[in-house]
Amino acid sequence: MSAQAAPTAATDPTLKSPILRVEDLVKYFPTGSGLFGRSVVHAVDGVSLAIQAGETLGLVGESGCGKSTLGRVVVRLLPATSGHVYFKDTDLTKVRGEKLRRTRQEIQMIFQDPYASLNPRMTVGDIVAEPLRNFGVARGRKAEQKVQEVMRVVGLNPNFVNRYPHEFSGGQRQRIGIARALVLNPTFIVADEPVSALDVSIQAQIVNLMEDLQEKFQLTFLFIAHDLSVVRHISDRIAVMYLGKIVEIGPSASIRDRPLHPYTKVLESSVPVPDPDIEATRKPILLKGEIPSPVNPPSGCRFHTRCPIAQQICTDVEPPLEMKESGRFAACHFAGQL
Amino acid sequence: MNAVDGVSFEVDRGEIVGIVGESGSGKTMTALSLLRLIPEPGKITSGRILYGEKDVAQMTDEEIREFRGNEIAMIFQDPMTSLNPVLRIGFQVEEAMIAHQRFTNKQAKERVVPMLQRVRIPAAKDRVRDYPHQFSGGMRQRAMIAMGVSNEPSLLIADEPTTALDVTVQASIIELIRDLSRELRAAVILITHNMALVASLCNRVIVMYAGRVVEEGPTRAIFKNPQHPYTWSLLRSMPRVDEKEKERLISIKGLPPDLGKMPPGCKFHPRCKFRVDRCFTEEPPLAEVDPGQQARCWVLMKNIPDPEAQAKT
Amino acid sequence: MAQAAPVIQPDLELSYEMPEQVTLLSDAWRRLKRNRLALVGAVIIGLLFVTALISIVWTPYPTWLQAVGPTYQPPSAAHPLGLDQAGRDILSRIMGGALITVQVGVGSAIIVSLIGIPLGLLAGFYRGKVDTVISFFINIWYGIPDLLVALILVFVLSDALHLIPRGVLVIVIAFSLTRWMDVARLVRGQALALREREFVEAARMSGARDFALLARHILPNALGPIIVQATFAIPAAVLFEAFLSFLGLGLPSPTPSWGAMAADGYHGMDFAPHIVLAPTIALSLTLMAFNWVGDGLRDAFDPRMRR
Repeated sequence: MSAQAAPTAATDPTLKSPILRVEDLVKYFPTGSGLFGRSVVHAVDGVSLAIQAGETLGLVGESGCGKSTLGRVVVRLLPATSGHVYFKDTDLTKVRGEKLRRTRQEIQMIFQDPYASLNPRMTVGDIVAEPLRNFGVARGRKAEQKVQEVMRVVGLNPNFVNRYPHEFSGGQRQRIGIARALVLNPTFIVADEPVSALDVSIQAQIVNLMEDLQEKFQLTFLFIAHDLSVVRHISDRIAVMYLGKIVEIGPSASIRDRPLHPYTKVLESSVPVPDPDIEATRKPILLKGEIPSPVNPPSGCRFHTRCPIAQQICTDVEPPLEMKESGRFAACHFAGQL
Repeated sequence: MNAVDGVSFEVDRGEIVGIVGESGSGKTMTALSLLRLIPEPGKITSGRILYGEKDVAQMTDEEIREFRGNEIAMIFQDPMTSLNPVLRIGFQVEEAMIAHQRFTNKQAKERVVPMLQRVRIPAAKDRVRDYPHQFSGGMRQRAMIAMGVSNEPSLLIADEPTTALDVTVQASIIELIRDLSRELRAAVILITHNMALVASLCNRVIVMYAGRVVEEGPTRAIFKNPQHPYTWSLLRSMPRVDEKEKERLISIKGLPPDLGKMPPGCKFHPRCKFRVDRCFTEEPPLAEVDPGQQARCWVLMKNIPDPEAQAKT
Repeated sequence: MAQAAPVIQPDLELSYEMPEQVTLLSDAWRRLKRNRLALVGAVIIGLLFVTALISIVWTPYPTWLQAVGPTYQPPSAAHPLGLDQAGRDILSRIMGGALITVQVGVGSAIIVSLIGIPLGLLAGFYRGKVDTVISFFINIWYGIPDLLVALILVFVLSDALHLIPRGVLVIVIAFSLTRWMDVARLVRGQALALREREFVEAARMSGARDFALLARHILPNALGPIIVQATFAIPAAVLFEAFLSFLGLGLPSPTPSWGAMAADGYHGMDFAPHIVLAPTIALSLTLMAFNWVGDGLRDAFDPRMRR
């Protein structure tokens, strides 16, 4: 990281106080060993990014692009294959055992499936109190008070501490999951598709809640979702992922106005808007072919097999994720030309 | 328990009607009752389903089977559950055509590849020999659509056809449905929770809540001038991808009611920010608010001076 | 966050939207109650336990007392199940046998679980080398002819080494050492599946140590299938004891083991069938009852398996 080196997405100079820096993160999964040696899923393949303290970075991409895996490697639910995740000054990929456990006090996660992420055999009170118990932060009466307070903060009736998760609706369960993530006063939260399992009217409740909490507790979010509308609404900056790589990263508004990477442009054009007048003129850019297998990703730019403006160079040379404008990174030889 | 209560609407040829609602609103039940496919022990207790001159609710089992096969195609959310995993795609499309008795075996065989091409499955000639698991989600949905439209139906019911798909794939499936409805001059009923999809595809919208139609009208009117507080709030509760300034979403507090524990009066009043005394006791009728637009509300949004300010409190 | 005012007022309307409180266990219990066969089985098992308990403090006659009346006497008012070839009261011995059966069955279920659950949990949770080693032993053990080994164990533990007097404990240990694999394999599978569930990931994020993950999150959620498996171990152990005792290799005379009683009456089957019938009927009823309840429990814990 010499001063002369060109800025990467991990050393984005427009970020004053980055709290998390991901450098060249790689995560491969071995798949069932076949007859001819083992094959490997390139789930996350050289990702760099940085997150500013207090901001929400939205991570958007289609199913199978590796966004959830990236989230899990960042919080170290999964070990990295290579690369670094610097949280403040610790490299999370290097910590183990008790030290790793201690990082959970500062880094938390909100899960996608409000049905699967709560232990069905524990009461809501026990679920929310578990982090306090594990870290010996509070016990007995004090822990109870803390739990009730957090439940109130996330909009749950604190009288329900003795109920079991299956007695709650999806939105209420997601609030329970948020309460559990909040109870230790973390600074950084990875939210993995926190609203995609919820009904529309409930989604808004949770999105609003997360915004309020961020303001109240100066939280930093990595918000992972497949729905660009939700990501746009909640994020200050957006990172777009395709087949294990980040293709574009930058401020949400400038990406909306002028996406640099063709894939971002395609995504933007594909999302319908609840306005029949706009819809009458919106022309989605339809992609040819299908998303290639992450076991055997294409050479060069991974998007070249489907890109409307791909040239020969895209097949041969992989474009690096480089700063095209202040604070805007894109991995494309022809950025901004679609 | 009435999952669907007093729903009436009509669909014309060439028209695309959207039924929107959240889970449990009765939108899928409504569509299934059109086909008399309600799961046991449910049944249609009253009402008529007129298809042209025929009443579907009164048909014999034989008639209904013929009606389903020849006149109606249904597309479901998860194509994997409707495809047989051990049979080749081409064979299944062929079977669908033969079962509907429009074609002889030979005709059907010849029409498989053109049919797959029509739903824009690339390299259809090679892919007829694939099995469902070799298809991606989008391709499977196309194959399902091919099976459905192979008999030139006059009514296409699409129940959350793109919910399980990625947004870039969704875009192409929506295009396909739009084109097919034009080519076949079929009526299309799109069941979805996604208001934006409705804005993109439908001529008319039916908004359902708690088993009832709460608002109905031309798409433009519903989106530009919604009169029911539920429709109004739903539109403002979803973030827009083209959002210019970050505005707080308007959320609808609470949950939709349980079928077993319907509140008295208007079914939406426990969650409504614009309710008046009458809403607690008396259920409003579905009444015309503008030509072609109906809403089930005592208050109506046009009578509220500054709804945004009121909704945010 | 100490003095945080509520960001959002609690949604008090939630209160009337909450369904009545049902726990998973009470739900399983409700389903179990609807299963007639399982209920019959439960009643039989209940009788068995009550009889076993009563036999500790009271039987009509001492179970070992010979010549309380004429040998081979058929059932009568004084001796409802008759007397055996040594003139012992069969009803008393059946009652005493119930106690043996309960001890063997429950003891085996407990020890099988004590061996199988930790091994299964470790293998499924840690995977990798731990799993390789444990799974290796499970598979090896499956390949061993269990009856033969159990017989040898009974002999070695009691007769050759005089470690423990030959009795219920020896039988239970011999059985458990040869039959722990079913539970271990089941628990391993459960742990493998559960460790990938989001709530276990969430618990990791909550800072739970491995022991807490296993004890608080994985084991409780695998309990249903474990109870079912343990229930099926009971009749197997009971049958094993009866079989050994029938061959004279099990509990020594005059212990009122049902298997031994059947063997005793075997020679008089032509003229005094009641001696054989009483223990065999008791044994069959017990085995069936446990199997019915096991099936019922399995269906109750896993509603998908219901017809």
